Amino acid sequence: MLADRLQFAFTIMFHYLFPIGTMGLAPFVALYTLRARRGVDAGAAAAASFWTKIFAVNFAAGVVTGIPMEFQFGTNWAQFSRQTGSVVGQPLVMEGVYAFFLESVFLGVLLYGKQHVTPRLHTASATLVWLGSWLSGFFIVAADAWMQHPVGYALAPGGRVELRSIAAVLLNPFAWWQYLHVLCGAMAAGGFIVAGVGAYYLLARREGPFGRRFTAAGALTAFVFSMLLIFPTGDRNSADVTVDQPVKLAAMEGLFQSVNGAPLAIIGMPDTRAQRLIDPIFVPSILSYLAYGNTRAEVKGLTAYARELWPPVELTYYAYHVMVGLGTIFLAVAALATLLLWRRRLFTARWLLWLLLLLMPFPYVANEAGWIVTEVGRQPWIVYGLMRTAQGSSPNVAAGETIFTLIGFLGMYFLLGVLFLYLILREIAAGPSETAETGPA
Amino acid sequence: MSVVAFLLLATMITAYVLLDGYDLGVAAIVPLVARTDSQRAAAMSSIGPFWNGNEVWLIAAGGALFALFPAAYAVSFSGFYLPFTIVLWLFMFRGIAMEVRNHFSGQVWHDFWDFAFSASSTLLILLLGITLGNLLRGLPLSPQGYFLGTFAYLLNPYALLVGLLAIGVLAQHGAAFLVLRVEGPPALRARALLRVLWWVVLALYAIVTVATGLERGFFTRAPALTAVLPLLSLATFFWLRTAGRAGREQTAFAASCALLTTLLAAAAATLFPYLLPSFPARHGGLSIYDASPSATALATALTATIAGLIIVVAYTLMAARRMAGKPSERTSSRPSPEPRRP
Repeated sequence: MLADRLQFAFTIMFHYLFPIGTMGLAPFVALYTLRARRGVDAGAAAAASFWTKIFAVNFAAGVVTGIPMEFQFGTNWAQFSRQTGSVVGQPLVMEGVYAFFLESVFLGVLLYGKQHVTPRLHTASATLVWLGSWLSGFFIVAADAWMQHPVGYALAPGGRVELRSIAAVLLNPFAWWQYLHVLCGAMAAGGFIVAGVGAYYLLARREGPFGRRFTAAGALTAFVFSMLLIFPTGDRNSADVTVDQPVKLAAMEGLFQSVNGAPLAIIGMPDTRAQRLIDPIFVPSILSYLAYGNTRAEVKGLTAYARELWPPVELTYYAYHVMVGLGTIFLAVAALATLLLWRRRLFTARWLLWLLLLLMPFPYVANEAGWIVTEVGRQPWIVYGLMRTAQGSSPNVAAGETIFTLIGFLGMYFLLGVLFLYLILREIAAGPSETAETGPA
Repeated sequence: MSVVAFLLLATMITAYVLLDGYDLGVAAIVPLVARTDSQRAAAMSSIGPFWNGNEVWLIAAGGALFALFPAAYAVSFSGFYLPFTIVLWLFMFRGIAMEVRNHFSGQVWHDFWDFAFSASSTLLILLLGITLGNLLRGLPLSPQGYFLGTFAYLLNPYALLVGLLAIGVLAQHGAAFLVLRVEGPPALRARALLRVLWWVVLALYAIVTVATGLERGFFTRAPALTAVLPLLSLATFFWLRTAGRAGREQTAFAASCALLTTLLAAAAATLFPYLLPSFPARHGGLSIYDASPSATALATALTATIAGLIIVVAYTLMAARRMAGKPSERTSSRPSPEPRRP
């Protein structure tokens, strides 16, 4: 059980590094390709093929780490798949046929087809790749949202879940804000990646026009989506959690005792044995306001629920605070960069360029932390309120086997990670003007 | 409706085998047909743009199995735990080998990764063949319908035979593809290999057909179908031979596709109506009726998948037609998926 959990956590977190890149960079690829087609913008073609290459490496790594995810439902979580496949299988097969093929076929055209296809098809391909990557995200989030807040199903004898309405599953109210929040997270990351690469070129005093272009476009994107991350998507997503998963909310906030006018803990370390926060800094009444729009409302604490229904409190709490803390920093830095951009001082403000460069890994941390809150906070349920994670694993796979394969995945992913970093860093070191000289991809 | 789902799944798996089959097959025969570094690079770049997209069919087929037959998905994937995990590693390793090779120069480096690429691809075909062999032979299932055997159990002689046939037939498929895509000595050698492999595959096919009969019984279900399909397979064998001799390369590749289709159809006919027949009994197991979800779920998944695949096939054909041809026939040639930099 523990081995299955560790394996899933490790492989999904490693895999998710790449969808952040594809969902966050796809619009840049598509929009630069569109601008290049108009022909008025000399640098757009080189910018487009530069980001297409980086996108392609992300996509390839996403495919090879994505196949194990789909396999793992069957290999490690056979009872879960058997009991809920009627519902969970639907968005997964739809992702394959509606999103994944779209992304892969037209990425092929985008990468290898420039000499063979009409410019119009080439440009359309970039847009279809964008559509594919965002659709893909939607179907996966829809599957996850069903596990958070199951809808559109009926229980058959024997506890098997049967689909009743696919429309209800895809239009799950829980899915929409979660999806938009995930998308904004990827877009903010995409913005910081583009801005960070641009900042690097400016600091290194090379690729001047591209450095300015990427820094400006990235900073603006990061600013807009960092705002949208907090409001409305983060706020609405939390509201869904407040209603549907109050235990998770309590764990996220480290709230042990139910109170009227609950304070918001900015920092503090949860002590689950003493059931309190150590060294907290509180903002009074704000949690009640955020959760219920009323500073006097009662927020239920963890102790209002049976201990066996608690998620792992520390992990949920810290992941949530890391996500929110980083999100706040992102907004501040991106807002500052946008302000300086408007005052025409961004490209010479080296301290801020350094900040943008060094910030690049952190959107990844924040995205992963957000998923930890979502998934660890859902425990002990694999499908909230319906099926325990402990009931989901494969009855015929021993822990020893899973530990063996986990070690294997660690080794393989280490190799993959080194290769990925090498390929990306090499593209960045080569730069977009180099790309333009060797011919568009 | 379960029957339609079975046919859809068989079609998707066939599409996967036809597509990823040629790039796996090319990988398996690269050491035989390409002797120099540049020849190997040319052979590998013939599949460079496609292998990743071809693997999407595997993901789609896996998703379809999950949605259409959740119980069969759960039982087979957990039952084949180790082989499937190794298959995953090989898929990754193969992709890594291909990428790493192209991005660094150096003879020793290339020699190693080319070997790793071919070896992992060949092993992959063998494992997938062994999986199919075990499905055909049947598995010992517990009363709850879970597979209770060991890894060693899966390596039985019959399954190994099917694995060998898989290597042979996909190597042949890869050779037929390579003839279309490369020029010079590798193309000549691929043509010669195609002639030799034809005999090997024919012999393996005969042995596996007889062995299947011994394992599962001759003409047990749908006798008409089990009699017609081997005849069709034989006909495509000869079609492949005559097309190859006449130098009609595209026809030969089409014949190879047809041969694979008839072989997989025969496998599907042998299994039907079971997804996971039980062993050693010649009847029983997890049938398509036991494994499918409610009518609503099945209808939803079928509609969504079929509609989606029609669109996919339309744009894949459109894209493939506009990008086909040998390097010299194309307006620009690309030596490798990514141009190597000094």
